[in-house]
Amino acid sequence: MSKYEYAIAQTIDDAVRLLNEPGKRNVVLAGGTDIFVALRVNPLWFDRLVDVGRVPEMRQIREDAGLVSIGAAVNFTQAVESPILQKRAPFLVEACKTIGGPAIRNCGTFGGNVANAAACADSLPALVCLETVAHLRSAKGERRIRVEELVTAPHETQIEPGELITHFTFAVPPQDARSCFIKIGRRKAQSISRLSIAVIGNLDRNGKIETVRICPGAAVATPVRFRNVEQMLTGQKPSKELFASAGDQLVAEMIKSTGQRWSTPYKEVALKAIAERALSNIFLQDGSLC
Amino acid sequence: MTEYQYIGKPAQRVDALEKVMGKAKYVGDMTLPGMLYGRTLRSDLPHARIKKLDVSPALKVPGVVAVITSEDFTDHGVFGFPISDLYMLAYEKVRYVGEGIATVAAETPEAAIEGVKAIVCELEPLPVLLDMDHALDPDAPQVGPTRSDGKHPNFLGHYPVYKGNPEELLKECDVVVDQRYETVMQEHAYIETEGGLAIPTAEGGVVVYLSCQSPFIPRGHICRVLSLPEGKVRVIVPPVGGSFGGKDDLNYQTGGQVAALALKTGRPVRITFSREESILASYKRGAMRMHIRLGADKDGTLRACQFKSTYDSGAYSSQSPFTSWRASIHAMGAYRYDACTVDINTVYTNQGYAGAYRGFGNTEVCSGIEQAIDEMAEALNMDPIDFRLKNCLRVGDVTPHGQKLTESVGLTDCLLAVRKMSDWDRKRKEFAAQSATDKRRGIGVAALFHGTSLGAEGIDEATGTIEIHDDNLVTLTSGLTDYGTGSRTVYTLIAAEVLGIDPGRIRIHRPDTNTAIDSGPTVASRATMLGGNATKVAALNLLQILDWAAADLLHCDLHQLHRVGEKYVGPSEEPVPWEAVVEHAREMGLVLSAHGKWSAPKIQWDEEHGTGVPYFAYHFGAQVAEVVVDLKTGATDVVGFWAVHDSGKVIFPQGAYGQLYGGISHGLGYALYEDLDFQDGYPQSINFDQYLIPTSVDMPEIQAGFVEALYSQGPYGAKNIAEPAMVPTAPTILNAIANATGRRIRKLPANLERVMLGRVLNKKGSPVSCKVALKIS
Repeated sequence: MSKYEYAIAQTIDDAVRLLNEPGKRNVVLAGGTDIFVALRVNPLWFDRLVDVGRVPEMRQIREDAGLVSIGAAVNFTQAVESPILQKRAPFLVEACKTIGGPAIRNCGTFGGNVANAAACADSLPALVCLETVAHLRSAKGERRIRVEELVTAPHETQIEPGELITHFTFAVPPQDARSCFIKIGRRKAQSISRLSIAVIGNLDRNGKIETVRICPGAAVATPVRFRNVEQMLTGQKPSKELFASAGDQLVAEMIKSTGQRWSTPYKEVALKAIAERALSNIFLQDGSLC
Repeated sequence: MTEYQYIGKPAQRVDALEKVMGKAKYVGDMTLPGMLYGRTLRSDLPHARIKKLDVSPALKVPGVVAVITSEDFTDHGVFGFPISDLYMLAYEKVRYVGEGIATVAAETPEAAIEGVKAIVCELEPLPVLLDMDHALDPDAPQVGPTRSDGKHPNFLGHYPVYKGNPEELLKECDVVVDQRYETVMQEHAYIETEGGLAIPTAEGGVVVYLSCQSPFIPRGHICRVLSLPEGKVRVIVPPVGGSFGGKDDLNYQTGGQVAALALKTGRPVRITFSREESILASYKRGAMRMHIRLGADKDGTLRACQFKSTYDSGAYSSQSPFTSWRASIHAMGAYRYDACTVDINTVYTNQGYAGAYRGFGNTEVCSGIEQAIDEMAEALNMDPIDFRLKNCLRVGDVTPHGQKLTESVGLTDCLLAVRKMSDWDRKRKEFAAQSATDKRRGIGVAALFHGTSLGAEGIDEATGTIEIHDDNLVTLTSGLTDYGTGSRTVYTLIAAEVLGIDPGRIRIHRPDTNTAIDSGPTVASRATMLGGNATKVAALNLLQILDWAAADLLHCDLHQLHRVGEKYVGPSEEPVPWEAVVEHAREMGLVLSAHGKWSAPKIQWDEEHGTGVPYFAYHFGAQVAEVVVDLKTGATDVVGFWAVHDSGKVIFPQGAYGQLYGGISHGLGYALYEDLDFQDGYPQSINFDQYLIPTSVDMPEIQAGFVEALYSQGPYGAKNIAEPAMVPTAPTILNAIANATGRRIRKLPANLERVMLGRVLNKKGSPVSCKVALKIS
């Protein structure tokens, strides 16, 4: 059994101080749903866990002046039950509902999901679509960086040692925006995403696509928007044919990014299907899928 | 119909409260002063010669007290039934990844792991046999033991059923279905992992608490491998957290290891497995490859069946000779044929090893034959239920084995009931007309028969005891274990019914080789029939004693006695309470205890000619599944499930429904998710993050019912339920998928890729997670 120290942070300042205490390898602990699983099979990679899960300011979801703020230690059960997120980002709520089971959702946090940076992380595609900004604190002060850029590779981020994600913010989407999240898992719960997609967008007065943002999950190395596909769709009138070709392009871009992998024959069919479904749901139907 | 007081009436499980309140103590909950913790060094190669094994460095690790190897056992600890090819710890060779080599006992679990790491074990890799189809090649690596009869060492057995010549008859049939089907390995996934605790006794023996099914079997093994007389080895079965066939051979090794270490150290020793160790080391449901040819006439009469298959037993024989035999008996399904042959060849490989698992061969063959039957119905353009009704076994029929069925054949009623319950006819019509291209609905059926108890596998009898204590508490013993099945409640209800007393007066002990009487193995869904009948006989013997006392007390003849509730009523006096009768019996000097033994009807099987009477009775059943299949993602959603089984008389209804629901969830996992995939001999999923079983939200609402085709020899007409509950579930779901998509998936499981692409995509295998798990857990 691994032996290591454990410290509880009371405030953000406290957490940053603990994380920067010299002579120790400190690692942030929030919900523990990744760390404790990794501990079972990996040699110890830290000397101390700094628990930020009880820092009150990091556990809040707020809306203020057109900006939604989610504390990094907010867990997914809180997210699912949040009236603010239900109203402002229903597809993010749908994504959070698909994470693990109730016990995992009671522990797992946004900060942890982003910092762990798995390619299949369920909350990230929606966060990326919302152009969510991560707010980080360190001894040097504060900095902000988009989640899409923060994650650089599977399980790799730009988070520096001693740096803490305190919260995330995103601008409230337009009133008429619709969103959708679809996940394929091998079973209905406690299932790692085989493939997912988050889409948000709205139509202009003429019924053409004004904005659209698309981010698949578990398709390429990190959750990123597929901007070429977004551009192709922007200004177009929604139709089944349009979304079919958007699906094709999405698949082409995925393969361009990953090359042919063992799973490609499956993913190329499934990604196209869920892309078409998400786009149709938002722009051609009533958005009832999400 | 006979009206019973307790049989078939709602009842509470006797162990419900202790389990839901967390009071049940499993092996892993037991600690004793001075207890040592055991850990086993396991092979990280699928096939190797043990070139060097030096345990002395482990003994220098602080906290390590003792280490054992095969040298610590008589005859190197060889054991196993019916074929003795397994060792308490590996001797000379290892044949699969996860095989135990040496066991360390230490003051703490951490020291035990350090001890395991310190052992010097040099393994010289041997060529690995991975593919069962090449097991009998002349140049195949030798996995099985050398044999003296000239047969290939990797050949384990051939199991035939022969009636007529289907090869010839198939030529005459109007329609022939000729297909291959395949099943893969399945993990039992019991909640409680393996474990055992041994305590040395003052007399030089051991008491072993062992999570297992059949305590008398490990007692026998421990006596032999440690050269102890039966009187010095006592095995007690504490509550068992699930088994499903999985706690035989592997955990007998655990029992042998803790017993040897307890004797060596003079201290209690406990072993409990981590989940990874459990999945790596334990035997599985074996994989089977089937080639089925069916022939029928245009009018829908089934005429011929030719079934050929290979069954992969993996590194050891374990229960495979019996599994394969049961598979052969059930391979053709519950139907009449003019000609039918079955040939199953069972072989050794280095893909883990296969042993007992719920359904015991029938689950495997049923997934093949029930798909083939469906394909035949389709070829004949007949409704699958109509086709089954036309050909299924009924009272008076002679089975392909040559057995005349004289009673208790409820399959027709099961099919009719499940058809109605599931609204089959309407849905079948409606789904045939659907135009959806993305998400399509389908409905499918499968039927089963399942021979009750051991069949011609061996001696089939059980003994129970009953006793009234000074405080009027009634206690029961049985040599058969309730490892979650509910059999203790069944026995309690039977004893209550016979004695005419409240079940709350009765307590039933767990099996203990010092107090219970050997009743054969707790396998083959035999507990209700064998143990139930034994309990009934014991209770009747005790009742006779009480009735004599009552007649004496009430000054009347036996035939004048009546019962009103628990009370005894005579012809002339006031009714007397049961306690008064018991007290009077004591005053009369009567002994208030009894034994009851029940032996199953005689049966016989001719192994060479593949004919005989394989089982004395059969369970029958039919299940229907409704699915929504997403053709674009490959996801199958089982949205409805109906099951009607002929279990004979249902003694404990909630228990029977519970078995049915649990069995269906096992079968749903087998159909859609589960595949203990071995790549180059290494299992690719060794914990429940990778090895997926159904969660509660994957389970549809199940509507279940029972057809009670009473069996005259069963207790109150009862047969069984445990294994048959899961047997037809996978083909039911596969047939529903075929109905939805028009495409057949003939290899399990029907996962996302198979449903969408018709094939599986293989990620390159890796030994890494196994090697890591063997070091840390």
